[in-house]
Amino acid sequence: MRVFFAATFVVLIALSLLAWSIRPNVAEPGKTALTWVSDDNPARREQINLFNRLHKDLTLRLDPNNTGMEKVIVQSLAGVGPDLFDCYDTFQLSAYVKSGIAWNVTDELAKLGLDPAKQTWKAVQADSIYEGRAYGFGNNVGADAVWFNKSIFDREGIPYPKGPWRWPEFIKLAQRLTHRDANGRATQFGFMCEWWQWLHFVYQFGGRVYSEDGTRCVVDSPETVAAVQLLYDLIYKYKVMPSPVEEAAMATQGGWGSGTITRFGADKGAMALGGRWWLCTLRDYKGLRLGVVECPYSVKRVFRGYGKGTLINKNSPHRQEALKFLVYQAGREYNQLINDQADALGPVVQFAYEPRYLLNPKHPEEDYNVVWRDALERATPDQYSPFINGQVALRLLNKQLDLVKNNQKTAKAAMCDAALQLNREIARGLEQDPELARRYREITGRTAPGGAQ
Amino acid sequence: MSGKLRPGEARNRRDTVAALLFLLPNFLGFVIFTSGPVIFSLAASFTNWNLQQTVPFRWVGFENYGRLLADPEFHLYAVNTAYFLLGMPLAIAGSLCLAMMLSQKLKGIVVYRTLFYLPSFTSGVALMILWKALYNPDFGPVNAMIDWVTHSLHLSIAAPQWLLSTQNVLGLDVEKVGFTAKQLGIGARDAIIIMGIWTAVGGNNMLLYLAALTNVPQELSEAAELDGAGPWQVFRNVTWPQLAPTTFFIVVMSFIGGLQGGFEQARVMTAGGPAGTTTTLAYHIYTKAFEEFQIGYASAVSWVLFALVFAATAVNWKFGNREVSY
Amino acid sequence: MAKPIRTVLIYLGLSLVALTMLLPFLWMVLASLKPLREVEMLNPLPTEWHPENYRKVFEQIPFARYYFNSVFISAWITFLQCLTSCMAAFAFARLNWKGRDGVFRLYLATLMIPGVVTMIPNYTLMVKLHILDSYTGLIVPASFSAFGTFLLRQFMLTIPPALDEAAEIDGAGRWQVFWDVIMPLARPGIITLGIFTFMGTYGSFFWPLILIKSEHLRTLPIGMLFFDTNYGRQTNLIMAASVMNIIPLIILFVTSQKFLVKGIQLGAVKG
Repeated sequence: MRVFFAATFVVLIALSLLAWSIRPNVAEPGKTALTWVSDDNPARREQINLFNRLHKDLTLRLDPNNTGMEKVIVQSLAGVGPDLFDCYDTFQLSAYVKSGIAWNVTDELAKLGLDPAKQTWKAVQADSIYEGRAYGFGNNVGADAVWFNKSIFDREGIPYPKGPWRWPEFIKLAQRLTHRDANGRATQFGFMCEWWQWLHFVYQFGGRVYSEDGTRCVVDSPETVAAVQLLYDLIYKYKVMPSPVEEAAMATQGGWGSGTITRFGADKGAMALGGRWWLCTLRDYKGLRLGVVECPYSVKRVFRGYGKGTLINKNSPHRQEALKFLVYQAGREYNQLINDQADALGPVVQFAYEPRYLLNPKHPEEDYNVVWRDALERATPDQYSPFINGQVALRLLNKQLDLVKNNQKTAKAAMCDAALQLNREIARGLEQDPELARRYREITGRTAPGGAQ
Repeated sequence: MSGKLRPGEARNRRDTVAALLFLLPNFLGFVIFTSGPVIFSLAASFTNWNLQQTVPFRWVGFENYGRLLADPEFHLYAVNTAYFLLGMPLAIAGSLCLAMMLSQKLKGIVVYRTLFYLPSFTSGVALMILWKALYNPDFGPVNAMIDWVTHSLHLSIAAPQWLLSTQNVLGLDVEKVGFTAKQLGIGARDAIIIMGIWTAVGGNNMLLYLAALTNVPQELSEAAELDGAGPWQVFRNVTWPQLAPTTFFIVVMSFIGGLQGGFEQARVMTAGGPAGTTTTLAYHIYTKAFEEFQIGYASAVSWVLFALVFAATAVNWKFGNREVSY
Repeated sequence: MAKPIRTVLIYLGLSLVALTMLLPFLWMVLASLKPLREVEMLNPLPTEWHPENYRKVFEQIPFARYYFNSVFISAWITFLQCLTSCMAAFAFARLNWKGRDGVFRLYLATLMIPGVVTMIPNYTLMVKLHILDSYTGLIVPASFSAFGTFLLRQFMLTIPPALDEAAEIDGAGRWQVFWDVIMPLARPGIITLGIFTFMGTYGSFFWPLILIKSEHLRTLPIGMLFFDTNYGRQTNLIMAASVMNIIPLIILFVTSQKFLVKGIQLGAVKG
């Protein structure tokens, strides 16, 4: 037994030495290593390779396992954080700023001749500019539009749709393109979208999530309810969009998040609401002929814009070097690469207005790049309320939407409950946080929601 | 006290020193990585600790506990957690059945044992993707089988929607604690229970029973058979009492594991949905701490969960431990 | 009931259960050989076979490195846990000292603490000790087990006390009794604990996920996440990686089978 344990120990020590010896060099001699927390995919790797080619003195490495905001914050506070990290919305940005790990680079960028407020798309500024100060630079950005499958339209002899258009026209078209077999099972859907895109609908119905000053949740407004009602009707009234059950029944691959892309790619739907970044997946579907038209609208011709910004860790020893990555994101090489990869659009407006953007020589069939640009011009970023934890809000809203989607609750009832829950959460936040309460008083002149003037 | 020690005392003293040394490595790790963190999290549960620094850190007493006890979400998730325990007796009975069959000295048992253990090898992503496909309401083999059976029996019963449905066999309501006929049926929670039984039935519990069965003296059951006892009586009067310590251990551990469980399924298969019906307390804690940064609140939920586990174990101990010595 | 009929019935029952266990795995193996678009369709056989999926796994991610890491980390944890648990179990099962039962009850009580309770403080501790993103951070906290101590204590209690008393009369010290008498007899128990531990740590997901930053330290379950991103899920490659993932476990299980059942002793009936 002694021998056995001793022998195992020796073997393990030997393995440890082996593990230690095959450990890759953190940085090549004379180079500074930078770590970037972002998600891993082939497009990202190309973007990193290009940066490393352009900067011989730096090695940028990807860290895809720590994309959670909590991890970035804890690690950065502990001094082991990344040098660069992504930020997906204003709530995250505010959390990074408040926890003191996002570096205010307004002056640094100005010295380098960069101004994200002027150069980048509005929709991505929500992820990098907070209360007038820049903490980073846009990474990519986009707004959703309607993809359509040209082969299906050709087969059915229906002319390709053209924007701008309204929902009634769209629904009629989608109904023509939805087919069911004798058992009522759909063989082809006119339209597909994910429920997390619900804000796209809300904004164009003139609805809001929070009141203008952010002090109140207003998802129970008639406009927002109407938007959710349309989503519901597309499934259960007009029957042009798959219900959750039908979604699952389309036995193709794909998880909860990305199922629609693959289902659409597999010819199960004639039209789908999605972003330009879908091409990163759809280009691999040989023989799929695609077109894009702007999304129909209801009251306002606006679309939901979303993207991500890259921020610098204030406590990073290499934050000066990390600045070079922001400069890279502002530059032509990077923007052109993003535009060519179709990983949404590059953050800088100017490069989308060069002729090169409209025509990618490798993909001349993609003749709809102008649609994405126009949609982005009319795009509005997600609303933000400083008075509520964005993650809590998201969870509460998603739960109610889930109930509507599963036909358990009417749109009106669900949105009223959601507003109630979110406003209760806001009230609780005010009780706990004196700083928030002070701001609330400044804005509203009241101490608490519902209280007398 | 000085003077001579009696031999027994000397031995005891020597033992104490030795015991300390033997215990030391494990005990150190135990203090650093278990007790320390436990006390830390207890302390955290009385604070408003939040990873965003706007809120000044302060002690809030029992505020977190008061809040969670009043939180309808917490109630729902506690009910979900309890609901998932329903599969436990079936899983344990299944393990016992399999172990009894395997303990017959037949050929090829080793092969069966390995096959039964297969689900325990692959936990995680692959298994859950697999089960999602199996549960597919329209094309999945589970419903294909159900349809075939109902069809041949000329019944017009719709097959369940499994992971997409908020229904459950008890008819628990979705948004408040209570029952409603509308939710009566088979849904996501039941799907996860069935998957759990399948995964667990041939795993460690079966091994534990198998080990215990090899220790049941053959003479006892043979003697009983000679006295004219049938197989059921032999089992009831001879085998079952002999298995009591093992059953007790398995029940206690299953309770502990069950109350803490549901995290991976929720993360990989359902994201806690539909409409929160598969969110357990463990997943709720994860969401609160690692997505919403409310560490103080999450710690309080952890401690309530701990209290529940402790209570369950105490009850088990009181009623199950009568004949068992440890 | 006649013996042969009973035997046939038992085989029938066993085979039926075995089939339900086996079929999904067969599906997994077949899915790993399918083209992506067929994976979640339920046709059992691929229309075209793609054995190169296995090669692709190695091409797209440093799978060999992840493999090594998983086995390496699990091996260390198993070794340390067995060693520390044996020693502690010896103290609980074989030595008389004041407060023994109290401390043992404390150990038992910690089995009840949900993992999430200690997760956050432990993470902060790793940060403070500067062993975030290292093998040490993965190995050390997992190397002390109350469960292992409990399992081995129960096993050691079944070893007749006469044996170590005899050794002591021959002049053996505690250390010698531990290594030369108890440990050899406790071998089935140790092997059982070893297998439980190895399997548990080999598949562990959450701790490595939050602890590891560097690519070269990733374990298999974490590494496989590469095939599941916003841009799509390569389910066939996940299946191929999973099949390769379980091979070491099956080898381990089959080779140590005969010890497993002997190794579990959970205490006796009072009598």
